[in-house]
Amino acid sequence: MEKEGLGLEITELRLGLPGRDVAEKMMKKRAFTEMIMTSSGSSSDQCESGVVSFGGDVEKVNDSPAAKSQVVGWPPVCSYRRKNSCKDASTTKVGIGYVKVSMDGVPYLRKMDLGSSQGYDDLAFALDKLFGIRGIGVALKDGDNCEYVTIYEDKDGDWMLAGDVPWGMFIESCKRLRIMKRSDATGFGLQPRGVDE
Amino acid sequence: MNYFPDEVVEHVFDFVTSHKDRNAISLVCKSWYKIERYSRQKVFIGNCYATNPERLLRRFPCLKSLTLKGKPHFADFNLVPHEWGGFVQPWIEALARSRVGLEELRLKRMVVTDESLELLSRSFVNFKSLVLVSCEGFTTDGLASIAANCRHLRDLDLQENEIDDHRGQWLSCFPDTCTTLVTLNFACLEGETNLVALERLVARSPNLKSLKLNRAVPLDALARLMSCAPQMVDLGVGSYENDPDSESYLKLQAAIKKCTSLRSLSGFLEAAPHCLSAFHPICHNLTSLNLSYAAEIHGSHLIKLIQHCKKLQRLWILDSIGDKGLEVVASTCKELQELRVFPSDLVGGGNTAVTEEGLVAISAGCPKLHSILYFCQQMTNAALVTVAKNCPNFIRFRLCILEPNKPDHVTSQPLDEGFGAIVKACKNLRRLSLSGLLTDQVFLYIGMYANQLEMLSIAFAGDTDKGMLYVLNGCKKMKKLEIRDSPFGDTALLADVSKYETMRSLWMSSCEVTLSGCKRLAEKAPWLNVEIINETDNNRMEENGHEGRQKVDKLYLYRTVVGTRMDAPPFVWIL
Repeated sequence: MEKEGLGLEITELRLGLPGRDVAEKMMKKRAFTEMIMTSSGSSSDQCESGVVSFGGDVEKVNDSPAAKSQVVGWPPVCSYRRKNSCKDASTTKVGIGYVKVSMDGVPYLRKMDLGSSQGYDDLAFALDKLFGIRGIGVALKDGDNCEYVTIYEDKDGDWMLAGDVPWGMFIESCKRLRIMKRSDATGFGLQPRGVDE
Repeated sequence: MNYFPDEVVEHVFDFVTSHKDRNAISLVCKSWYKIERYSRQKVFIGNCYATNPERLLRRFPCLKSLTLKGKPHFADFNLVPHEWGGFVQPWIEALARSRVGLEELRLKRMVVTDESLELLSRSFVNFKSLVLVSCEGFTTDGLASIAANCRHLRDLDLQENEIDDHRGQWLSCFPDTCTTLVTLNFACLEGETNLVALERLVARSPNLKSLKLNRAVPLDALARLMSCAPQMVDLGVGSYENDPDSESYLKLQAAIKKCTSLRSLSGFLEAAPHCLSAFHPICHNLTSLNLSYAAEIHGSHLIKLIQHCKKLQRLWILDSIGDKGLEVVASTCKELQELRVFPSDLVGGGNTAVTEEGLVAISAGCPKLHSILYFCQQMTNAALVTVAKNCPNFIRFRLCILEPNKPDHVTSQPLDEGFGAIVKACKNLRRLSLSGLLTDQVFLYIGMYANQLEMLSIAFAGDTDKGMLYVLNGCKKMKKLEIRDSPFGDTALLADVSKYETMRSLWMSSCEVTLSGCKRLAEKAPWLNVEIINETDNNRMEENGHEGRQKVDKLYLYRTVVGTRMDAPPFVWIL
């Protein structure tokens, strides 16, 4: 590290906790491990506190390869290639990928990160927000009394009604979501309630 | 030149095809500007928000081919939210309304819908060529419209798109009268393929030169397809499964032998390595080999295949080839120009697949090498210095050491000197990606030596604003600068605002720029769109009361002649 000798170090911008010894070689490495504490790399609080909360989860600093892979977008391999190099669907972590959400009548597909919802209620809220339509959420909570029905495609390729299985099981098996009009859902070929994977 | 009538000048311009050259011609004088714009048939727009369809059509009314790029490059790595923008619909609507004779559309990182594809297919009678790269938002229904309505379709080339496969019958939507196909690439489709429709389509397409299949096309179908298309030049094998029955395999061998024009091979998405030998007879003709999705091909089968490919110019491979495998490439493929080595293990098992040794071997053995993308576990300055000496002709040099901030593994020094040697030796370097432990020094070298550099990707590098300033001040030809997780802030950002007028775009994420810095930039440069992408709580940035000093998570700025775009989602602030 070149030193100007003018005492300008104090004005230098650095990535890392304040008060560190700037000559420390490991500083950069520590900055990186701070990076991996936020799975989306988005919080600007990371320079002010040692541990960051994101979505209620606090992750430990961990040098293991698994922790390193949680930095978003690193290594810089395009998402198409990532998906196609993981032949086994179960190795794709929910936090890394998004699931597609389609809604009947809307010409664009949307994508959302299931990992950022904490449960079905959260999901209901997130879906409402995604499409700007209230009432999708109700479908999840109060099955029979509303206009929409929320279904998902599971790992086996079957379409299932959302809300039956525990949340953890759901996010592990859900490959994509679809919000259908209830009137279109009859005869679609949903697996009947109570059938396990 | 001004003594000649316009038609003669125009005829001369016909021989000038590169976009750069045509842009230069149009600046010479008003008369040349006018002649050039009426005769321009191919237009390239590197950032779809730099201009708009109306201006495009006003200037180039005789447009036949349009290339558009949407999202910034880092969108490939999930750094840009899906709803950010890059919609092709308004472009297609405007082109359709204007009745321009569009024949070719090439899109990269754009949002394409079935509605857009349908409109496209119905609006241009002579439409011939659709190339979609890394796009999303459409389904096979959209492809069905293209197939059904484009009577003269020549190219349908889908590269690495996210397509919702409705497992429909889009292939059977090509009418029986469609015999003009030259390129058909649907390797990225995930669903079942109507094999009968596919075989009939290939059989009635005598001009078909490039065929890339998806994983749903099994080996026996491949044999039949190759039998009726011996003129094939570029083949993407879909599924090449285990234990084919001997009859299929024999048929395949016979069909392959007849494909004497085959020059490019890819795919092998699911592969039985021992069947690769069926391709050995044509390997000596191959100039391009892409096995980067063929996770199951490695070891001796891979080496044997490569040893037959003496004329290879382009090789895309996984790092499971290992340093030893790269040494075989170096001794066999003397014509090699482009090499890409991708990581096979993304979750991080720590397999030391390729190291600096493989890179050095390649540089020593392949004198014509000019483009490299190399993912590896470790690197040294000494290796990079050697590579620079061996290969001073690099145009593209992208090195990705998998662990960020990793120093020279022998000396524990930063890799400044190694990259410095590369930029000093490679006078034609246009694209550079850095990795490993790097200080401001490497940017000093880049600013000093990388005179032709147009695109630079920086991650986890540098110490102070000086680093970024060296680059902005030194690299006169810089077009695209993308930076993540590096300590560059407002001082560097604001030092020379006029620089951004000479660049296409700047991306900075997880750096030290603040909201007030970005606001000041936007004030100084109204001809820039300064976008802040803020995916977390929208209100948090202003709530804290330290509004100005709040660091900006993602900044994307680009020059534009049409001002603020109207289609930005709520989490994108355009200052």
